Amino acid sequence: MSWWEDIAIGARRELGSYTFTEEEIIHFARKYDPQIFHLDPEAAKQTMFGGLIASGWHTAAVWMKLAIADREKSKAAGNPLQRAGVSPGFEDLKWLKPVRPGMTLTYSNEVIEKVALKSRPDMGIVKSLNEARDENGTVVFSFIGKGFVQRKPA
Amino acid sequence: MSETLHFEDFSIGRVFDCGTYELTKEEVFEFAGEFDPQPHHLDEDAANASMLKGLSASGWHVCAIAMRMLADGVILKAKGLGGVGAPEGRWMKPARPGETLRMEAEVISAKPSGSKPFGLVTFECRMFDRSEQIAMISMTPIIGKRA
Repeated sequence: MSWWEDIAIGARRELGSYTFTEEEIIHFARKYDPQIFHLDPEAAKQTMFGGLIASGWHTAAVWMKLAIADREKSKAAGNPLQRAGVSPGFEDLKWLKPVRPGMTLTYSNEVIEKVALKSRPDMGIVKSLNEARDENGTVVFSFIGKGFVQRKPA
Repeated sequence: MSETLHFEDFSIGRVFDCGTYELTKEEVFEFAGEFDPQPHHLDEDAANASMLKGLSASGWHVCAIAMRMLADGVILKAKGLGGVGAPEGRWMKPARPGETLRMEAEVISAKPSGSKPFGLVTFECRMFDRSEQIAMISMTPIIGKRA
């Protein structure tokens, strides 16, 4: 397992791709985001989006799904895992373009900053820029994630 | 849906009560199974041994619940035109299955579009369980102006 000290700023991982289906978009929206342009393909045509789009939190939740799958894949390949704990939160989450049924997004993660904690000398924070791109390479979703990672004992 | 709220109604400092939400274990497992399959969200024994000392909902599940509560409490009563983002999210305490969650949303910014019939409103959504605040998620939906 790797420590906070071992993580390099600029380290980048491709997390994989995901294709959003109409059925999944509607299923998520019924439970968590029942706005008409997430729920009803016909009625959505009359809105400013011109058709059904995924809830932004659905796009975010898929990031988590792919990040976990990537970690499992990395573990199975015998790579050292970060001594990662829970996350205190995120910053600057942006829904830049609508995500429509049939679109495939490719997600990535890049370490941008490491923060030592005076209050927790055994832990550090790693900040990373997470992005999802459409088939043309346009960024449609991004946020800065934060995670606690254990520090190497002195 | 009757639109009783317009961009002009979202003055800075106004607080909306977004009601309550029963967080069940089934729902915690369902969301985590699909989007966040980590042992502390899915397996009671592993969760008890983890840093969070017990089962808790995925942080992204908490965000999705905040969206639902903001939709029911505010956005579905207005002309909601989508959202541009969530400037900040803080997961402060674990969201435990069996809890009754409650949320309030305070307007912290309201920016009209100069030429267009809508504006951006940022809400600070504060979520509580029965005893304390567990999360803060700010969100910026686009809301239609009064016609």
